[in-house]
Amino acid sequence: MTACGPVKGIWQLARSAQVYKASVTISAQGMVQIHSEDDGSLLQETPFAAVSYGDVIPGLPVDLVFADSSRFIPLDSRFRWPGMSARRTLPAWLEEHWLALFAAVLLVPAFVWLMVTRVVPAGADLAAVWLPDSVGEELGQQSLTLLDASYMTPSALTGEQQQPIRQRWQQLLAQLQLNSDDYPLHFRRWNYGANAMALADGTIILTDDIVQLMARHPQQLDAVLLHELGHVEHKHGLKTLSRATAMSMLFAMMFGDIEGAGEMVLGLGTSFMQSAFSRDMEHEADHYALLSLQRLQRPGSDFADALLALQSSHETAVQECRGERSAEEKRAAGLFDYLRTHPDTSERIRIARNFSVPE
Amino acid sequence: MTAPGSSPLFSVSHGHKRTHAVQFSGGKLQYFRLWLVNMLLSIITLGIYSAWAKVRNNQYLYGHTQLEGYRLQYLARPGQILRGRLLALLIFAAYAVISGLNPTLSAVMTLLFLLAMPWLIIQGLKFTLRNTAYRNIRFSFQASYLSVLGHFLLLPLIGVFTLGLAMPWVVQRVQKFLYESAGYGGHRFALRSSAIEYYEAVLVCIAVIAFFAVIAVGLATGLTPVSPGSVSSHLDPQQLRPVIAVLPFAFFILSYLIAAIYLGMIRNHIFNRLQIPGLMRFHSSLKILPFAWLMLSNALLLIITLGLAFPVTRIRKYHFLAAATQVTLEPAIDRLTDTVDEQHSAFGEEAAGLFDVDLSLT
Repeated sequence: MTACGPVKGIWQLARSAQVYKASVTISAQGMVQIHSEDDGSLLQETPFAAVSYGDVIPGLPVDLVFADSSRFIPLDSRFRWPGMSARRTLPAWLEEHWLALFAAVLLVPAFVWLMVTRVVPAGADLAAVWLPDSVGEELGQQSLTLLDASYMTPSALTGEQQQPIRQRWQQLLAQLQLNSDDYPLHFRRWNYGANAMALADGTIILTDDIVQLMARHPQQLDAVLLHELGHVEHKHGLKTLSRATAMSMLFAMMFGDIEGAGEMVLGLGTSFMQSAFSRDMEHEADHYALLSLQRLQRPGSDFADALLALQSSHETAVQECRGERSAEEKRAAGLFDYLRTHPDTSERIRIARNFSVPE
Repeated sequence: MTAPGSSPLFSVSHGHKRTHAVQFSGGKLQYFRLWLVNMLLSIITLGIYSAWAKVRNNQYLYGHTQLEGYRLQYLARPGQILRGRLLALLIFAAYAVISGLNPTLSAVMTLLFLLAMPWLIIQGLKFTLRNTAYRNIRFSFQASYLSVLGHFLLLPLIGVFTLGLAMPWVVQRVQKFLYESAGYGGHRFALRSSAIEYYEAVLVCIAVIAFFAVIAVGLATGLTPVSPGSVSSHLDPQQLRPVIAVLPFAFFILSYLIAAIYLGMIRNHIFNRLQIPGLMRFHSSLKILPFAWLMLSNALLLIITLGLAFPVTRIRKYHFLAAATQVTLEPAIDRLTDTVDEQHSAFGEEAAGLFDVDLSLT
């Protein structure tokens, strides 16, 4: 036990505003004594084991806290009690070592980047795969209800127009040895052009525009359907949900308490990551479509042609927007731009063309 | 009677009435380091450390706030805060997943959350104030579920139904309620605020806005020569351009001036009417223009440094607010003892620790 004192300060009684000007001595035998500064009388005597030190905060004195929560506060804010340097905390050390702090400033973004691009997506995907099928079914049905209530109207296609597409779809699934009940096909009409989408429960929706666009090239529509099938098989619907949840939780945990920088990082980070995820998933679905085409002994150019057709149909739509449509319609077309959350189309076409052709 | 941070003044045997300014001794560079370390460690530990960070942050800010040489104390332990945050996080995760799956269930959960809101507000304020102490005596907060529901849900509704005309009165009622639910060492705060002052503050703000609007219109029309013979005061877009270019900046500056007028007038009013009968009386002498400059310059600092100057702006603000605040202490405070602990059940304390909702009183 290192002897210490006398240290001048004030002794603050427990649960009372009463204070004494006092001094503390710690003896080599491990006894803590408080003496009054006014008359030198002994105010308190207690074994060292019964006291604890307050936290070390820059610019503030370190209190000596007694068992009854009374405390002795040294006058000198730079004074440190014996044995304190040994139990220095990491935050206090960092605050005093600028070099270490700057190294940390560089390391932390790398760490965040690793978490956001690798660890969290992998963890969230794992969670999505382990979720029971009923979750996907529920999610898919909700999405369909929502789409029907807001953006979509019943298809204007006749049964004769739909029938051949359904038949080709059944054939495709049979050839890929998949159960056709798991992938119901729906036709819908909406104002945002040619599009196809997959829901979490396996439902696939074709818009009237895409059916008309590819009416004379059914093999292109097959490739698009295979791309959507890729989304279903890779559970992209569930993965999007679980990644978004995990990401906002991570950001809330890491930055939620940091006022100032926090909100900015939160907002920007989540939206950037969201579209990056979306592009990765499109690539994955493309790959699935190309592999399936290969299995079906069909050329990857089917998919490339489908992408080209979609691209030119959307470009026409955008030009029409610039011409005659109202401002509101322009805005809507901009918001639902098929290509925005998707990777660069020419790149996708190049990959599709170069995909090894079945021999 | 004043001394800087390192050598605080202690006049132990007071026994008389005296008035002191609040002193704040936090340093910009010192706090910047503390804030940066807090941020880095919070990120590295995926937010676990943020509970410790919060304690350290508050210990610094409270500890550097002194009245008569006694420092404010922040007594919460990181474990309590961490527990509350983990629970909140679990609820949030459940809510996110459920609302993604089932809109009906998510509506039910939202309703439950709204019903729990008053309780959360109470527990949060209770936690914050119970863990704040001055001269080893804790502050406290006591309010019933229904009274919080009334002040935070019903009163604002009245404000909405009267198209905002009753809003200053509503805000006055809510703030009075919050302050008067707080206590120190078993003694309640009393706030004799008046809604008239709130209306006055709003009217001054409107007058200032109107004044600048007239100037802006005057400048715009003054730039346009009215062609002889033409009665129409048609504005030439070409000549309006410089006015329009300056407008966003003028608006930015004006918004801080308006905020400073309202917040400054209300703060002065509240503090000058706030007391703990027989113990303390508060005074505030905030000057509007310097306050507006402080808020504007702080905002500019944040924008220029992309938020990195946040700790600096906070220290500047605390220095400014402390310098404008005085407290009159009655002799009774020197004999005060804390009676709150006996009244407090262990369950209440635990529940308070579970949810750490920050809702500041100013």
